[in-house]
Amino acid sequence: MSIIVRDLVKRYGDKTIIDGISFEIAQGELVSLLGPSGCGKTTTLRCIAGLETPEAGFIAIDDMVVFDSQAGIAVEPYHRDIGMVFQSYAIWPHLTVFENVAFPLRIRRRPNTEVETRVTKALAMVGLSAFRDRSSQQLSGGQQQRVAVARAIVHAPAVLLFDEPLSNLDAKLRDQTRAEIRKLQRELNVATVYVTHDQAEALSLSDRILVMRDGVIRQQGTPEAVYGTPLDAFVADVVGPANFLPVTVVGAASGGVEATLAGGEHVLAAFGPTTPGPANAMIRPDRLVLGAVPGANQLHGRIRQRLYLGGHFEYLVAVGSASLRVLSSAMAAEGDSVTLSFTAADCIILATDTQETSSWA
Amino acid sequence: MTGVVRAHGRGTVKLIFAATFLVTAFLILTPLASLLYGSFRSAGPGEPSVFTWRNWTDLGSAAIANTLVTTCFISAVTAVLSTAGGAALAWLIYRTDFRFKRSTVAAVGLSFFFPGFILAMAWVILGSPGGIFNDVLEELFGIEGFKFDVYSISGIIWIQILHIIPFAFFTLRGPLIAMDSSLEEAAYASGASPWQVVRRVTVPLMLFPMLSSLLLCFVLSVEQFAIPAMVGIPGHVNTLATELYLLTNFSPPNTGLAAAVGLSMSAVTGLTIFAQRRVVAKRGAPTVSGKGYRVRPLALGKWRWAAQAVALFYILMSFIIPTLALIYTSAIKFFVANPMEASYTWRNYLQIWNSPGTMRAFWNTIVVAGGGALLGLILGTLIAYSTHRLKPRGHRALDVLACLPFGIPGIVIGLGFLWSYVYLPIYGTLWVLVFCYMARFLPYATETIGAQIVQFDKVLEEAAWASGANRVASFRRIVLPLLRPALQSGYFLLFIAYFREIAAAALIYTASTQVLSISIWAFFENANWGVASALSIVTTIITVALMAAVARASLRV
Repeated sequence: MSIIVRDLVKRYGDKTIIDGISFEIAQGELVSLLGPSGCGKTTTLRCIAGLETPEAGFIAIDDMVVFDSQAGIAVEPYHRDIGMVFQSYAIWPHLTVFENVAFPLRIRRRPNTEVETRVTKALAMVGLSAFRDRSSQQLSGGQQQRVAVARAIVHAPAVLLFDEPLSNLDAKLRDQTRAEIRKLQRELNVATVYVTHDQAEALSLSDRILVMRDGVIRQQGTPEAVYGTPLDAFVADVVGPANFLPVTVVGAASGGVEATLAGGEHVLAAFGPTTPGPANAMIRPDRLVLGAVPGANQLHGRIRQRLYLGGHFEYLVAVGSASLRVLSSAMAAEGDSVTLSFTAADCIILATDTQETSSWA
Repeated sequence: MTGVVRAHGRGTVKLIFAATFLVTAFLILTPLASLLYGSFRSAGPGEPSVFTWRNWTDLGSAAIANTLVTTCFISAVTAVLSTAGGAALAWLIYRTDFRFKRSTVAAVGLSFFFPGFILAMAWVILGSPGGIFNDVLEELFGIEGFKFDVYSISGIIWIQILHIIPFAFFTLRGPLIAMDSSLEEAAYASGASPWQVVRRVTVPLMLFPMLSSLLLCFVLSVEQFAIPAMVGIPGHVNTLATELYLLTNFSPPNTGLAAAVGLSMSAVTGLTIFAQRRVVAKRGAPTVSGKGYRVRPLALGKWRWAAQAVALFYILMSFIIPTLALIYTSAIKFFVANPMEASYTWRNYLQIWNSPGTMRAFWNTIVVAGGGALLGLILGTLIAYSTHRLKPRGHRALDVLACLPFGIPGIVIGLGFLWSYVYLPIYGTLWVLVFCYMARFLPYATETIGAQIVQFDKVLEEAAWASGANRVASFRRIVLPLLRPALQSGYFLLFIAYFREIAAAALIYTASTQVLSISIWAFFENANWGVASALSIVTTIITVALMAAVARASLRV
């Protein structure tokens, strides 16, 4: 394993930021830490880098123990085999592009010829060959971000750490850079931890996603698993847009779980706890179809608001006391009465209390 | 914290912090502790003495109480008028259609760096009973009844106001420039007339900065030594600073009472500084906006010429006429007020060159200012880096220590070293002056460097660590280069401060450690106005040249 984190605890004063999390990352694997601000994802990354000292736990990088509270080991960041890209890029304004990228090699006292070839290669990989002699202050945000990536990979570290690297870029550049980071990481085949609060980034980049909340990992798995079968409403909401309908679970039925709405309609969901009682049905906005589809679950509601998003609409539909977001290219007017359809496979029952996830259909 | 052992690097950092802390504590606490000790002794340092309360009970004597009242009166008037003058000047330049703004700011900058003791000397030449102004009054206009007399309370106040107005101007213009101009524009948009905007928006928003400036001007005035020494002592007007000097230097010396006076003086200035810091913490600067929009300059109309005249009068009085008087005095053989009757000579300048004592003072000043400022800068950098970045245990105590000299008058620090140095192996060496100046001007260094340290993000250092650079390497390769502008201007600031300091030196210099400021004063006291003026001109040229260098260095960034 390239990165091993075990029982990590970090506190600021009496506030617990990380509450005993554990995970492992294999060589070549890209793992995202996803969660809202304050969930402890950046602190976890900084603990791996050695920029924060945890209160307890164990961290190993590339088979070297870099932190072990019981053995009293805490290796300084500069003795850890890491490359890190900071949210603000942290490009040194007094150095040129070349010298910024060369810094990790200069510190390691590599001969000039090696510095030359490796920096040239790193700059080529991020597409900045033409900028090598520029002052770093003459760079755009996107270029600075690339310099930061080149600096992180130039010394071929065992581990790459990304701290929300795309959050300061505009939307278009973000999509492009996201694809490039993925390609680069595949080429380097290096274990990577990627901190983000953007679900699209996490879903598109990761081999595995760790969803964090209040210092603990709520769910981990492949992007498909976390998106398709979230364990609770929090995870469902973090990994993508979600509608929640209050329902009462009736019990197991053929093809999933059966539940009823407050209005009496029956709903069949593919997954979820079968224990009878109140729960939430989760349906993604793009899985709700405007109109009646035979054989699917059907709800009746009234369109409260319509927003044109170019190519499709976002409707806000009142169903009983709940309101659901629907993404659809179908035309309907505000005030229209509509039928919403969704298949059982697109609906998941989530326990209102996350402890009650014992029995699954 | 857990008992985690750091593998490498922390040891060096801890060692450097410990050394920084010890040196700072030595520099700041030695004079204070010595003063406290001295204030309870029956005789001066190095003499056999016993414990006594007498020095503290003597504080209540009529003479000392009288001096205290005089000092507070002079300082209060000076503070109010300097702040008012500085604020008016800042408002004229940054809010109205006042002309020649840039040259006026440059001239105020020159006054700012014009040493107080040289200004006082020039004003003795100009305004003493036998001085130039009175001659002009008598001979040109035949006025007999009225005479200027700078040897008086009003003379001290006048020169101090001239000297302190630039300080008030420079502390007030920052908040005024930074003030969100939309606040004033909103008042215009609400239908307020220009004068109403000034009265109801600008002045209320500037109230806290003005209060802060008022308190600082008060402290500057209380600790002012050179001006009351040059014009107050001949006129038998004493302030606490000159009283302390007289108690120490004239027989029978009473250094114990001087110590008690010095501590009381520090209590006054220290408490005022404390109040000023509270004011700043409570409502520091008005809201700063990122936008560089300037408020439309207010048209002064027919008042503009009056404003221009007052500003020009100030510049003439604070810098130009004093400099001309010094140049004139330095170039004549015998003092006569009428330039037509004077005989001109270079001999005063030659005498500087030919006097081994003066050349030695020159050399001493260069060593103390050049080398001492470097030591002061290194210490200030280590302190600022510790208190703003490393923040190890004890960094708050270090911060408090480094701020203390803000509240201690220069002459009091000098007296503190006088009380301690006879017990230290530095007696009679330039180290006494260097230590004394390092302590006195430590806040200059820590404030300049600290302001720059908080400017750059800590993540720039973290990136260096993540790239494999240890703390020492990242400090050398990242922190120091990023601090370069502040290091440059900090060094020049310290150099100028050390170069022209007189209050702290007045008590502790010896024949072999005499510096330029003391030489000038000594020539002046011996009625050798010509050489004193020549030396002042040379000193002023050096100071102004350095100031230009500072300005250029800080512009380049």
